[in-house]
Amino acid sequence: MLNRESNVFPGILGRTCDRPCEPACRRGRIDGKPVAICRLKRVAADHRGEIAARLPKIPAKKNGKRIACIGAGPASLTVANDLMPLGYQVTIFEKNDKPGGLMRTNIPSFRLPASVLDEECQTILDFGVDIRYNSPVTSMRALLQEGYDAIFVGSGAPRGKELDLPGRRETDRIHIGIDWLESIAFGHTDSIGEKVLIIGVGNTAMDCCRSSRRLGAKDIKVMARRPRPYFKASPWELEDAEEEGVEIVINHSPKRFVVENGKLTGMEFERLEWDAKAKNSKVLDTVFVPADDVILAIGQENAFPWFERDLGAQFDKWDAPVVDEKTYMSTREGIFFGGDAAWGPKNIIWAVEHGHQAAISIDNYCHRIPVTDRPAYGMNLISQKMGLSEWSYHNDYNPAPRQKMTHVDLAERFKKLNIEVELGFSPEQTAKEVQRCLNCDVQTVFTAEKCIECDACVDICPLLCLTITRDGSEEDLRGRLSAPALNLTQELYVSAPLPQTKRLMIKDEDLCVHCGLCAERCPTAAWDMQKFELITPYAGRTACCAQA
Amino acid sequence: MLRAGVEQAVRVNDFAIKLANVNGTGSASANGLLMQAIFRMGIPVSGKNLFPSNIQGLPTWYEIRVSKDGYTARALDYDLMVAMNAQTYERDIREVRPGGYVLYDSTWPLDPRLHRQDVTFLGVPLAEMCNAHFRESRERILMKNIAYAGALIAVLEVDMDVVEQLLDEKFAKKKALRESNHKALRLGFDYARKHFDPLPFRLEKMDANSGKILIDGNTATALGCLYAGATVAAWYPITPSTSVMDAFTDLCRKYRKDPETGAMNCCIIQAEDELAAIGMVIGAAWNGARAFTSTSGPGISLMNELLGLAYYAEIPAVVMDIQRVGPSTGMPTRTQQGDLLECAYASHGDTKHICLYPANPSECFEFAVKSFDLAERFQTPVFLLSDLDIGMNDWVVPRLKWDDSYRPDRGRVLDAAQLERIQKFFRYWPEDENFVAARTLPGVSSKGAYFTRGSGHSRTGAYTEMPEEYQEVVDRLLRKHQAAAKWVPEPVIERRTGAQFGVVTLGGCDAAVREALDVLDSRGIPADFMRIRAFPFPESVEEFLNDHEFNFIVEQNRDAQMKSLLLLETGVAKDKLRSICVYGGFPLSAKRVTDRIASQLGELTERAVHR
Amino acid sequence: MPSIAKPTAIHPSLHRNELGLTIRDYEGSMSTLCAGCGHDSITAAIIRACWEISLAPHMLAKMSGIGCSSKTPTYFVSGAHGFNSAHGRMAAIATGASAANRELTYIGVSGDGDSLSIGLGHLCHAIRRNLKMLYIIENNGVYGLTKGQFSASADVGSKSKKGEPNRMAPIDPVALALSLGATFVARSFSGDKDQLVPILKAALSHRGFALVDVISPCVTFNDHAGSTKSYLYTRNNMLKATETDFVPPASEILATIGRNGAVSVTMHDGSVVRFKGVPPDYDPTDRKKVLDYLSEHHGKGEVVTGLLYIDESVPDMHELNNTPAQALTKIPFEKLCPGSAALDTLQEEFR
Repeated sequence: MLNRESNVFPGILGRTCDRPCEPACRRGRIDGKPVAICRLKRVAADHRGEIAARLPKIPAKKNGKRIACIGAGPASLTVANDLMPLGYQVTIFEKNDKPGGLMRTNIPSFRLPASVLDEECQTILDFGVDIRYNSPVTSMRALLQEGYDAIFVGSGAPRGKELDLPGRRETDRIHIGIDWLESIAFGHTDSIGEKVLIIGVGNTAMDCCRSSRRLGAKDIKVMARRPRPYFKASPWELEDAEEEGVEIVINHSPKRFVVENGKLTGMEFERLEWDAKAKNSKVLDTVFVPADDVILAIGQENAFPWFERDLGAQFDKWDAPVVDEKTYMSTREGIFFGGDAAWGPKNIIWAVEHGHQAAISIDNYCHRIPVTDRPAYGMNLISQKMGLSEWSYHNDYNPAPRQKMTHVDLAERFKKLNIEVELGFSPEQTAKEVQRCLNCDVQTVFTAEKCIECDACVDICPLLCLTITRDGSEEDLRGRLSAPALNLTQELYVSAPLPQTKRLMIKDEDLCVHCGLCAERCPTAAWDMQKFELITPYAGRTACCAQA
Repeated sequence: MLRAGVEQAVRVNDFAIKLANVNGTGSASANGLLMQAIFRMGIPVSGKNLFPSNIQGLPTWYEIRVSKDGYTARALDYDLMVAMNAQTYERDIREVRPGGYVLYDSTWPLDPRLHRQDVTFLGVPLAEMCNAHFRESRERILMKNIAYAGALIAVLEVDMDVVEQLLDEKFAKKKALRESNHKALRLGFDYARKHFDPLPFRLEKMDANSGKILIDGNTATALGCLYAGATVAAWYPITPSTSVMDAFTDLCRKYRKDPETGAMNCCIIQAEDELAAIGMVIGAAWNGARAFTSTSGPGISLMNELLGLAYYAEIPAVVMDIQRVGPSTGMPTRTQQGDLLECAYASHGDTKHICLYPANPSECFEFAVKSFDLAERFQTPVFLLSDLDIGMNDWVVPRLKWDDSYRPDRGRVLDAAQLERIQKFFRYWPEDENFVAARTLPGVSSKGAYFTRGSGHSRTGAYTEMPEEYQEVVDRLLRKHQAAAKWVPEPVIERRTGAQFGVVTLGGCDAAVREALDVLDSRGIPADFMRIRAFPFPESVEEFLNDHEFNFIVEQNRDAQMKSLLLLETGVAKDKLRSICVYGGFPLSAKRVTDRIASQLGELTERAVHR
Repeated sequence: MPSIAKPTAIHPSLHRNELGLTIRDYEGSMSTLCAGCGHDSITAAIIRACWEISLAPHMLAKMSGIGCSSKTPTYFVSGAHGFNSAHGRMAAIATGASAANRELTYIGVSGDGDSLSIGLGHLCHAIRRNLKMLYIIENNGVYGLTKGQFSASADVGSKSKKGEPNRMAPIDPVALALSLGATFVARSFSGDKDQLVPILKAALSHRGFALVDVISPCVTFNDHAGSTKSYLYTRNNMLKATETDFVPPASEILATIGRNGAVSVTMHDGSVVRFKGVPPDYDPTDRKKVLDYLSEHHGKGEVVTGLLYIDESVPDMHELNNTPAQALTKIPFEKLCPGSAALDTLQEEFR
């Protein structure tokens, strides 16, 4: 349930998330690889017990407020998830006949089984959401006239970007990536040529190339303009694609589609040479790469042809809606945006966050509270000391490397389109991976007046985080620490002057593994390990009562 | 010339003389000269120096026994007393057997009260002659001794050529001294020739000493250490062990100086006390050197603490215990076998140590080498229990032999290559068939690094206070000790036809007990003989004891320590063992043994009759 | 799971010494001393010194006796052999160990009970022999393991935890060593590694016996008000008589002579100890002046620290014994045993 609290779709996100959390994970600073947070969420979701009883209770008596959501993607579903327990009546308009939005249309089923998607969407719909399939909203004006108390636009970024090069319109073997994926998802496409070129190296490109592989393509090339460090795709998705025999070709800039006798034969590319920072390039030569099909995966954008521009909601010069970054409200009161519909394509977890925030705004709005009046985050700090060498958290450091996800055998996985490639972590892998966590939630808390400057903490610290030294400028201090503090994005913790010598206790948090040895070896309990809990507010629930 | 008693048959090469002196006067060299001359005449001889714990002025005696049959134990019947110490005249003259002789300095008249009818007094005006011939007072004192030696040479018929040769060797580089000695010798010799008739006992050249040497046990022990390859020796001066280290130092000067670099391939450290001495030995052995200390009972007492450490942490150490009379300071210049139990169980807690009991300088040499092999094989302290008699007196023994194919038994020590092959090193596990685990030496490889500790440890070497982990280690130590029984010297056993009981002894009692058994046999009382040479006891020790209805245990201490050790460490029944303890501090004589056995046998017979 | 094992994670910017080792490679097992014990800081200083001079771990021998201080060799350089011997006997055991193998570096860690009471004699004689070793006294003025009795280094008037003052005069290891002819004498404080580490490095280069007395507060039994061996008292009364730099052998010496006529002393191994700051009239090579300075400032209740006295001219035990440059344990048996022919010749003398 903790898993579901903030990310709403643990099973889905545990498989498909872009993992913005993992680069932030400090484990990566220690051994280069963050904790596999994403895959651990999947473990928790896959192995959850019965949760029905723990789900929010939906009041039988409604509060009389009606909310319309456009699109049944993650953002709208999150809004419904947060508002339904408060007594709102939520109606979702969906153009397709199934919920999920891009989670269904753009993510191939070998990455996200339909059963997982269905179940997690259904959990929300079962709160009593009024879901209307096959009901694309064709006019915002019309919708407004239906008298909803608020409208949430979660219609995504459904338009794939074009590549208007010579030859583009001379053949039907050039596909827009997201549309192509959608047609596979709904069973409209089940084959492709032997030689396939994918233009672009984002995650959509990866889904396209791997889908091509499953539809029978033999020779698949992903064509990239820039060198590998500048790819948009997540590294793991690149690895997975390459594992499946996809070739990734760098420094090739598309020049034209080659169509002979109405038949696509391939593409011409300019081979580029980039400077050190891949800012400027020069053309080396032009090469021809044969292809039966080309899939364009160079980005997507939101589009609102059904949103009349005279309703009070402003659109900017790129024809994108003007949306407040905190409140998610458009310039037309009562209309909120979230997900890719707000600021163009991001990813699912951001859509979920938008949903949460929009739900808070909607709740305020419906109760005549200014939408800018947002509930504060809360926090708890609880000492973890239980006894000598005894802590109420797992303070041991596990040197295990990041656990490798086991994949279905290559031959096996191509037999059907929807065989899930990732098997998930075994219990042993899970245990090891969990222990890789550095317990950032358990903070080293220092009380200067208790310190006798015995050096015990400085001496014991395995990562040389601590220093007792005289004061100085930050730059000076950073160079004088037990180990140089090179990560300038990590602030130094500096204590009040210490009682005996007036020197300062300085902690460089950068590589702290929260082993607790400083507190363990502290004779005066000047150091303590305290569990930090961030309490996130949700619609209708302020931080202080979020625990309840 | 006063002559008493009746005419006697002349005895050749079978008599005993005793020389009573004041210590610090230089008599030792005169006495040694006589002893050595007799040895060179090819006659079986033994000399016992009964000296005081003093530098100057206290009584000192020297006994020389000549025995054509080869008996070397102390004889208590003195044929001739050389009475040079007025303080002890009374006692000395009393000790002469009836019909014997007293040679004294007749510069002053003898107190008539000391006169005995049954001995002959031979007066030589030694002081007077020396005063007349030597100017310096110190020289007079020294030469008086040489003068009485000259007189003895005359009356005992010592080969003068041999004596002259000895003086030539001794004073090869000191011509003036050679002259003085020669002069003094002639003074006594000429006086005796002129004034005395031949005595009823005398010397005659034999050929019993070819292939033999004259050596003291401490020198032999030091030689053993040298040959065993000992490089570190640490000690604190204590009688009667000091001469072990003196000899080792001399030997090292001679044999351990590197011909190329001039460096000394040894390190001999005079420690601040015995605690330090054994500490140094343990430190050196921990580092892989063959190291030893020499000491005596009081030193062992002080070493007890660290001996326990070496035992428990399993570090080799060799301790040469030259026993003297205890308890406490006791009598430092008298001999005893009083450290048997102390060495066997040295230190607090459960400890047992390997002990070797040499009987003479030959065995001192042999066992000294063996001590190092045992100490390293079993990674434990090893005691060589010599005593003052063996250690400081000159003994005639067969020439020492050395097998050039000998290589030290270093026991189980892992080198870098062996360490590389194992996954992980644990100090006290696994063990071999002798219950010994491999050790490693510092400076070889970090993989072999471990923490040596005398505190509780498990088989991995880690600190422990857990009963089962502690017991596992100390139980193995016991098994290891027992396993050593197969590696230590077997007892010497000699059986006689018709023997009805066993006589068991050890160490320096050997000669006296053998002689006693000959005497008993000649009286129709044959007995079997066993000399125990080591602890833990080989199986044959218990077998011998059980083979006999009863056994006499002859030893030189009050408390029957060897008997106690046998009762504690074998399954033999208590009533099978009877004690004969002689512990006054002088070397054992056969007479004491025969008398005590005879009397105990008499008591036994009587008791049997009364029953 | 609660754990007190030190994490194996290594700071990526950790430097490596000439042997390619990081400072963490010089650690030992986790300390079992009381949290905050000064001894643990000294352990950390030893680790740093050994790492900085690139001492090969297996070439170090860690020696100790019994007591809190004597446990500490377990806590540093686990790649070295250690010997936790018997109470007070460390100096003797180290002497033997050094006799056998002079190629190793010896660090002895002792305490005030170990060195100034039960093992005082051994300490004195190790000084007399000028045994080449670093001998550290972790001095806290109290018997910790037996729960708080005064030790021989407790100052007159220093109060026990129960409030009773000590009345007997202390034995000052620094003054004692100087009077015995010690050739390297220093005092420092566990809470001042800037001072301690260079002293330890210099001590490890010294020709003979290097005594380093380190005030090392006992947090459990002797860190209260009234104690003269507490963190606070030591900080308030510590007088840094000298400040030193240690320059390893073959380093370029950028000679800047310190103020007040400071001196540089070239060590036996070619390294240099540079005295950066010494008081006027202080000469760390003049035993008498050092003793006078100590007694003057001791009288004022000051704890005089620094590398106080140094003399590189005195031969060590091995030089005095004329032992070979290599370890005695490396001399082949063939060189040690004279053989049967020599025995035959020798025995001609025994006739």
